[in-house]
Amino acid sequence: MRKIILIFVLFLTIGCISQNKQILYNFTSVPQSLLTNPGSDVKYNWYFGIPLLSGISTNVGSSGFSAYDLFADNGVDFNVKLRNVVFSTTRKDRVVLNEQIELFSGGFKIAGDQGDSYVSFGMYQEFDFMSYVPKDIAVLALDGNRDYLGKVFNLGDLSVKAEMLSVFHIGFHKKINEKLILGARGKIYSSIYNANSTNNSGYIYTIPSTQGVYEQMIYSDLQLNTSGTAKYDDEDYEPNAVKDITKRAFLGGNLGLGFDAGLTYYPKKHIQITASVIDLGFIKHAKEVESLTFKGTYKYEGVIPKFSSGGSAEDGYQEFKDAIPLDTLYADYTTWRPTKFNTSIQFSFDEERPEDCNCLNYDPETIYKSAVGAQLFVMSTPRTPLVAFTTYYRRKIFNSLQMKATYTIDSYSYKNIGVGLSSMFGPVNFYVLADNLLEYKDVTKANSLSFQLGLNVIFKNSKK
Amino acid sequence: MMKLRAIHRILSILILILFSSSCASDLDYNQVNDIKLEPVFISNLAYFNIPANEFVTGGIEHTVFMDTPAVDVFNDKFFKDNLSRVDLFFEVNNTINRSYRIDLVFLDRNNQPVHSTNFIVPAYTGAENIVTKTEIFQNATLDLLKRTTKITFTLTMFAGPPLSENSIGSLKLRSGVTAYFIIE
Repeated sequence: MRKIILIFVLFLTIGCISQNKQILYNFTSVPQSLLTNPGSDVKYNWYFGIPLLSGISTNVGSSGFSAYDLFADNGVDFNVKLRNVVFSTTRKDRVVLNEQIELFSGGFKIAGDQGDSYVSFGMYQEFDFMSYVPKDIAVLALDGNRDYLGKVFNLGDLSVKAEMLSVFHIGFHKKINEKLILGARGKIYSSIYNANSTNNSGYIYTIPSTQGVYEQMIYSDLQLNTSGTAKYDDEDYEPNAVKDITKRAFLGGNLGLGFDAGLTYYPKKHIQITASVIDLGFIKHAKEVESLTFKGTYKYEGVIPKFSSGGSAEDGYQEFKDAIPLDTLYADYTTWRPTKFNTSIQFSFDEERPEDCNCLNYDPETIYKSAVGAQLFVMSTPRTPLVAFTTYYRRKIFNSLQMKATYTIDSYSYKNIGVGLSSMFGPVNFYVLADNLLEYKDVTKANSLSFQLGLNVIFKNSKK
Repeated sequence: MMKLRAIHRILSILILILFSSSCASDLDYNQVNDIKLEPVFISNLAYFNIPANEFVTGGIEHTVFMDTPAVDVFNDKFFKDNLSRVDLFFEVNNTINRSYRIDLVFLDRNNQPVHSTNFIVPAYTGAENIVTKTEIFQNATLDLLKRTTKITFTLTMFAGPPLSENSIGSLKLRSGVTAYFIIE
């Protein structure tokens, strides 16, 4: 059983990029859209997510190369493919994995005189991995420095982070008036493990010299921070990953605080503007921390015999190791969550006549069957923010089936078409959202894919 | 009820279309095991530059200079495991009006010689006076090189016109390494 759980956890960890949830965002028939904007115009009397099945979302992305480029079983030597990938990418290309699974979620309405208020809460587990292509370091590993006299290799190309965490959250949104809904969500993060090496800098260069054969300089300011993994290095420790993960998931890990905020505003009945900021927060890593540093400057001249003094000359290699030591530190550190910003504008049309109303879903407001809109997504990364622009068409096909089709342009792709469907069978809400549909003709060649699905039970106003 | 069934059907068909039309090329992740890196690195090995006046103290010539610095690179575990060939390049530039012999003896940790090389350097007569040599270490000779922990440098100055503390010129050696790795 433990093995199964471990495999499941590993699968979750591996199986799953950018965290743009362009289909889910503002898709208000799905309660999980509250996680992308706490001020979403979501209506329910109460709802709960089917545990473990209410929100499953995975996102894989790689700009610059695909799994096919590297691992295609096509008879081409792996080393040739690796070279092609390394030399066709730049230091700006990145690989991102993101996976989220909701353990539980729920919400209820608090009726008010001025306007209804809604509470929503839950817990989800999340895994994030992000790495830039460490181009110069890869070139150095593939070719060495002989053919690159005069080139300055940038050690700052190394930028990688990975984190598994669980998130407990509670949110509140209130209809302030007919036009405005405001929402906020507080989060407690419990980091299960974290590895982070993003503030690196340094260089290596070799140029012809008149003194020695070469002038060779290395300046290194590299640091890797980890938390929650140190004890696995200890050979005497008998690993019990499942127990460790479970304990840390339930607030036994390194803790942090975060905040989401959002709004929905109707300047006119058929025009809707939304905005949200998600995961404005940090995690303080104080338990089981271990940092490796590789810092220093060294000019390598080779061995220099000291004939005149007669004293034994220093050993250049040892000198190098002393000048740029590999140190282990045990100091606390803080990581910032990748903060996401979303905004959208939507125009609705195709007004629905009240007599067509399904009374389960009765809404006093005018209901539009169709809408078009545009969304902007920005996420903080260790370097330049990731930006994505989406246009969408949303259609109520039946009272119980909503569809949202999206077209997204971002750094991974300019032809990302996605579709989301959300259906209600009685109180049971099932949704499935997938993007990059054009890539499904061969998923291995895709630069990014995301997939979300879930099951909820929603009870809406039966009367009012 | 009719509607529900219709929705159900549409959903099923859509999901079916998505998955039946999707496909995946064969991927073979085991290829990672075939990884073979063959970088070639260049670096300095040794350097000295002795001005002519250092061969004289108080009017007396020193004819033999010797030092044995540690050279701990080649017997480092990473180098031992992955080095497949080493080229050592030497260049001696003599601008002193005396001839020299330079001996390099590579010693292992028990001070036993594993390799030696020498240079006969003619006296400077006004024309460019450079002696170069490249030694290639592979297989058996490379295995010996990998045992090296220090190198004894011996300079011997041959007889010739006397040097004074005001003599000009210098004896300069520079040496570089080209290391060929195969990392599997």
